Amino acid sequence: MESITNSLIQSWGITSSTGAQLVSLLVMLAFSAVVLIPFFLPFAGITSWLERRIAGRMQSRVGPNINGPQGFLQWIADGVKAMEKEDLMPDDADKPLFKVAPYFVFMGVGATLVAIPFSEYLVLSDLNVGIFYIISVTSFVTVGILLAGWSSNNKWSLIGGVRSASQMISYEIPTALSILTVVLLTGSLSMQDIVKAQGFWPWQWHISNNPFMIVMFFIFFISALAEGSRTPFDLPEAESELVSGYNTEYSGIRFAMFFLAEWGNLFVIGAMTTVLFLGGWQAPVALQGSIWNTPVQFIIFMTKMSAVVFIVIQLRWTLPRVRVDQLMIICWHYFVPLSLLSILAVTIWMALSYGHSALELGMSIFSAAIWLYFVFLVLFRAVRNFKKTNAKLNLNFLE
Amino acid sequence: MKTTKLYLGPQHPGITGNMMIELDVEGNKILKSKTHVGYLHRGFEKLMERRTYIQSFPIVCRICVPEPDVNENNYARAVEKLSGLEVPERAKWIRTMVLEMARLQSYLLWMGGQSGSMGLYTMPQWTIGDRDYLLDRFEELTGGRVYHLYVWPGGVRKDLPIGFKTRMLDLMDYLESRMKDYTKLMFENAIFKKRAIGTGVIPKDKALEWGVVGPVLRGTGIKHDVRIDEPYEIYDKLEFEVPTYEGGDIYSRALVRKFEFMQSISIIRQIMDKIPEGPIYNRIPNPFKWKIPKGYTYVKLESSRGEFGYFMASDGSEKLRRVNVRGPAYVHGISLLEKILPGSRLGDVSTILNSLGVCPPEMER
Repeated sequence: MESITNSLIQSWGITSSTGAQLVSLLVMLAFSAVVLIPFFLPFAGITSWLERRIAGRMQSRVGPNINGPQGFLQWIADGVKAMEKEDLMPDDADKPLFKVAPYFVFMGVGATLVAIPFSEYLVLSDLNVGIFYIISVTSFVTVGILLAGWSSNNKWSLIGGVRSASQMISYEIPTALSILTVVLLTGSLSMQDIVKAQGFWPWQWHISNNPFMIVMFFIFFISALAEGSRTPFDLPEAESELVSGYNTEYSGIRFAMFFLAEWGNLFVIGAMTTVLFLGGWQAPVALQGSIWNTPVQFIIFMTKMSAVVFIVIQLRWTLPRVRVDQLMIICWHYFVPLSLLSILAVTIWMALSYGHSALELGMSIFSAAIWLYFVFLVLFRAVRNFKKTNAKLNLNFLE
Repeated sequence: MKTTKLYLGPQHPGITGNMMIELDVEGNKILKSKTHVGYLHRGFEKLMERRTYIQSFPIVCRICVPEPDVNENNYARAVEKLSGLEVPERAKWIRTMVLEMARLQSYLLWMGGQSGSMGLYTMPQWTIGDRDYLLDRFEELTGGRVYHLYVWPGGVRKDLPIGFKTRMLDLMDYLESRMKDYTKLMFENAIFKKRAIGTGVIPKDKALEWGVVGPVLRGTGIKHDVRIDEPYEIYDKLEFEVPTYEGGDIYSRALVRKFEFMQSISIIRQIMDKIPEGPIYNRIPNPFKWKIPKGYTYVKLESSRGEFGYFMASDGSEKLRRVNVRGPAYVHGISLLEKILPGSRLGDVSTILNSLGVCPPEMER
């Protein structure tokens, strides 16, 4: 990046510092337009296709299956359709804010991709404040949604926007606190350092450092759901209450931007959970240290991320949404005290086990056994229920 | 805090049909609610005064979309009562079966609506899919899927098709096994319980005074069911229980409906088992010259949403003089809603609306 900018500045013969800054800004913009957005769109699009296929399965129907193999290209068709639609804007809307709001939301989600490490070398920018950067940049989403709700000049939109702001601000606290424990364990804010502090095997991950990290994992996961406005916390766009929440008045490509951001957010939730707690791209030691191992590490990362995304999608189609007061109670009465307590416990454990590597390993294996047992239980129940499913109908009428 | 006025409807995804609820909201809390109707008034009662008795059937069944058979049955029984027409035994059994089928499909719709109003969209997909199997049986029996025009003064239009019994019993087995899935997904869902218990409470001592009927009344712990209190058709020959649950909230109503769903399945099984042979209708005179003696009558039955009554007056001519439909949704949607909504939260409006079984087309006819 820097070399490209420097060579451009030299070849164009720019000498002033403002001009140099302008050129570097332009290069950045071009880079983000050419690389980042095509990089981001497939993630959001494919996640949307995945979600609709899984939803179809769960709801005893088919889901999109016409465009492309198994309907894989449905998201492109949807995007093109949204672009072709008329761009309606309410007469009394605050027009500049109305126009700019979707970009804030889109930017907030898209910018997180900069710091997410997909493999040892495949990371756009390994910022030394990576995780902090992600927390701050996702706040743009809140701003965008609040703007959308306010500028639409519609009471339902406004309620949706304000709900969303209060929800996201509240849940930012447990999220940040749970990230803080990971930072405590790592001693660094850099995403790569966080991944490198873990290992390939489950007991080397941060989630199994000690049993309190399992608690922190759940707090982080649920708070991330709430921050991303996913079911059971999809109150900002609760259909039966607020029509469509903050995006009621939006149509066409602006509406598509909101939805793209939502599905991109789903991807970001999965990636964050993987990086912070589930070992990131960590491959076995033999497959590290070389740039040629990138595909393996990338596949490992995507597998873990897809598992998390799958759980999020499954939750959406099995749970109703909670009420606003219940949402706030979950956050302030349970999550904040619990995460504070967990931070204390993790710190005490770190102090106690300092220098006793055998003790640390024992505790890691013990807590890995705990959460693996739960995973096994869930899988076992799923398989058992799948085998004796009741959705079988054999009517003589159909023969 | 500033009070805001919100207009929920006439077009709103949280309302089934077109009606408007004017809400005074302070933050998330509802201070006052007022129901405005008039968006779906089609003047059915007046239209019926200009038609012969038989011609009114296509109108009557459109009073309530999810449950047309209730209206047909009520209307037919009112005409029979005024004219003194006898109904053969087998027709009565078939009519009862149709009523229970209507109850089943209405409850399936309600299950979908209730969980859909809470944001659980898997449930409507399942229940409305399974309701289609019931509609298949209706189609086979009557020729129509939604509006059946099956019940007739003096009996029913057609006899059961060949092999109907086995298919019906198969379907009942299927629905019974599906109820386990519904229970897991909806009735035992932790968040559903959290939202339903203690919401939209109707106090037991006020329930009768406010004119509450049907599953909503049984959800407050008062045992009232027209099928048992004043049996019509052949309900006195069947064995079934009428459940009551204390609490008066959304969850107790849901449990009442769940129990009744299973009872309806059992009733249909009994009917398929015991149904007698014989004629299915008594001939009526030429409908264009059919004069019904002067008089008036009131008939009622227990629909899936509660007591459904028809008042009918005849002046001795070929056309009826006056008909008045008294549906449960009128009370539930207008006066009851205004009493129980204040104090609850904005997010609960459509949940409460669904649990009361408010149906705007029935409110306004």
